[in-house]
Amino acid sequence: MENRPLEYDYTVAKWFMLVTVVLGIVGMLVGVILAWQMAFPGVNLMLGEGLAEYTNFSRLRPLHTDSVIFGFTLSGIWATWYYVGQRVLKVSMAESKFLMFLAKLHFFVYLLVVVAVVGTLLLGISTGKEYADFEWPIDIAVVVVWVLWGMGLFGLIGIRREKSLYISIWYYIATFLGIAMLYLFNNMEIPTYFASGGIGNWYHSVSMYSGTNDALVQWWYGHNAVAFGFTVPIVAMIYYFLPKESGQAVYSYKLSLLAFWGLMFVYLWAGGHHLIYSTVPDWMQTMGSVFSVVLILPSWGSAINMLLTMKGEWQQVAASPLIKFMILASTFYMFSTLEGPIQAIKSVNALAHFTDWIVGHVHDGVLGWVAFMIMAALFHMAPRVYKREIYSKSLMNTQFWVQTLGVVLYFTSMWIAGITQGMMWRAHDEFGNLAYSFIDTVAVLHPYFTIRAVGGTLYLVGMFLFAYNMYKTMTSARRVEESELQNASPMGA
Amino acid sequence: MDIGTLQAYAYFGFTAFLVVVLYSYIYHLYSAQKKGTRDYEKYGNIALNDEITDQPIEAISKNDEIK
Amino acid sequence: MFHWLEKHPFFFAVAVFVTIAFAGLIEILPNFAQASQPVVGTKPYSTLELAGRHIYISNNCMGCHSQLVRPFKSETDRYGHYSLSGEYAYDRPFLWGSKRTGPDLMRVGNYRTTDWHENHMKDPAAVVPGSIMPAYRWMFKKSADIDTAYAEQVTVNKVFKTPYNTEIPMADGTKATVKLGATLDEAKADALEEAKAIAADMKDQDVKDAVAAGNIPEIVAIIAYLNSLK
Repeated sequence: MENRPLEYDYTVAKWFMLVTVVLGIVGMLVGVILAWQMAFPGVNLMLGEGLAEYTNFSRLRPLHTDSVIFGFTLSGIWATWYYVGQRVLKVSMAESKFLMFLAKLHFFVYLLVVVAVVGTLLLGISTGKEYADFEWPIDIAVVVVWVLWGMGLFGLIGIRREKSLYISIWYYIATFLGIAMLYLFNNMEIPTYFASGGIGNWYHSVSMYSGTNDALVQWWYGHNAVAFGFTVPIVAMIYYFLPKESGQAVYSYKLSLLAFWGLMFVYLWAGGHHLIYSTVPDWMQTMGSVFSVVLILPSWGSAINMLLTMKGEWQQVAASPLIKFMILASTFYMFSTLEGPIQAIKSVNALAHFTDWIVGHVHDGVLGWVAFMIMAALFHMAPRVYKREIYSKSLMNTQFWVQTLGVVLYFTSMWIAGITQGMMWRAHDEFGNLAYSFIDTVAVLHPYFTIRAVGGTLYLVGMFLFAYNMYKTMTSARRVEESELQNASPMGA
Repeated sequence: MDIGTLQAYAYFGFTAFLVVVLYSYIYHLYSAQKKGTRDYEKYGNIALNDEITDQPIEAISKNDEIK
Repeated sequence: MFHWLEKHPFFFAVAVFVTIAFAGLIEILPNFAQASQPVVGTKPYSTLELAGRHIYISNNCMGCHSQLVRPFKSETDRYGHYSLSGEYAYDRPFLWGSKRTGPDLMRVGNYRTTDWHENHMKDPAAVVPGSIMPAYRWMFKKSADIDTAYAEQVTVNKVFKTPYNTEIPMADGTKATVKLGATLDEAKADALEEAKAIAADMKDQDVKDAVAAGNIPEIVAIIAYLNSLK
């Protein structure tokens, strides 16, 4: 024991990697089912009339959103944290039994929460707030998970050798603090069983806020859960993995400082853009709109920094599918951080709100940016944690193109669907009457819903290719030496 | 002056203040780099030299450096 | 910042927290001071309506239906008067939704009947050809949870002073009172009375039998809720 050289300990990172792949498939599979249900409502009865309650669109929809956000993405974030954190702080988890214990506890409590969430959502136990659907007992468990992570995060920082915190660490810290604050405030609720002296379901609760206030808190949360779940930690990943994989130091550290503080300051204001033309005060709607546009600057600051990191090294994009994943991810990041502010402009929002264009925006962000980056991170980590090369480079290339095609089909069809529907809702005939009944605006979307379902299915196929490639990497790919793991990841044919 | 007007002035003043802070921060970053008082860019190497056996870019304390 | 924060994680975390909390401080808190007051005619939900609202939430109806009429001609033509902040005063949680796969339901009680909902929930495409809404036939069999609805009423009455058993001004100058049963049994009896009135307008024999036997199927509760949306 004493004489063995110190190594990074990736035990917990490996566990989270596994969960990332599994929950990614679950979340996206449910998403694909939903997509086919919208195109062909008969799919709602896929398991027969008896189970209709559990297979219809309305019950499955929160399961899709929550399993992709809090399942796939969150476990991806933690898989990378338990990998990147050690490396850029230059300290091994093996050096502290306590931190190791915390990390393992973190993992298992998280798994429990996942099971509880899937079960309760299928049973229809929900607080009714999007992405905050969980009832109070699960909320408490979520807080425990979060605190365990936070203790591990700051604990590891506390015993670091590298004095200066690397860019990625800033973003992980921000993720921790941001979600903690938002989640606590948005989930303030009173358990009715206790308040009423023991009547009804013990797990039921009622929101502390009502009506417009509730909406304001919810979208301050909802928007920023996106910020601190889908943007901030994913930026943390790309700041580490792209430089490491390409062997190029980040183009400008100074720019990353500016982009970080800019993002932190601006992001939280933009929540109001979900409530444009609603009953919240006008100045807040305007604030939300204006800050959403300002948000382009810090977002593009990071994205451009990443693209410039590849300066003079663009041949790597052609040579390595892993770099391809990351460059496409950062391109989609630029794209959806431009699209979002456009949708937040009041007059555009009047058309786009409540339509499928918004759904399209979410998905080009999540499929194109978040999922691509997480998969790239896992591909980069796999050879290093399993000491085997990536099983197949050509499979990676195939996956890349299948999924890229899937995303493109997805967002193009949703653009057309959203704008078509928005225009039809507002169309008046020459006498000033509404030109279309609501069902006309649904029927017209059928072809786009079908294209979207095909796009989603392609992406899911890509996920299976990914899972297979990872499985082979874990179990049977060629073993590699430490010396092969400097920068570009080793890949088999 | 009612509270709304005051808020508006405060808001404007605050925005102007933030703009000044931002630009002076940018100026500070780039001039410090140019004058050589601080090399910010070396911290980018934390990601590249991240083996546990690598020398830290800046060790947490001199006595604590790994052998 | 100035490369001091980056070396001092505690202060770094504090700085990040202050920066991100700032927006909430300015944006969220002031609005709470002027919490929205109910407009004339806005009543709290009755026990049966609230039970229906829980069914609406547990089936995630707000995933496809908004309850927010925006102030545009095309929306007021289609759905009625645009939404006012005070109309949501008793909505915990708010159910504005974020997507209109189906139409807005803010004022659906004004233009749809018990009978229409009954047929529609059984087989949406039979009532609206081309509809992609799934059917909700199990709601005709499962019983609504009146106990939990009552518990919630008691809670909001106690904690947020939601005005039950109090005269509330209505738009036409009259006063209305929403009753909160003194005991669970009383609330159940009241809910059953309300359910009977709705079941009388329905055709499904199983539902009628259930209500006659003192059970309230989910469908009755959710129709009570939908009818209350005006």
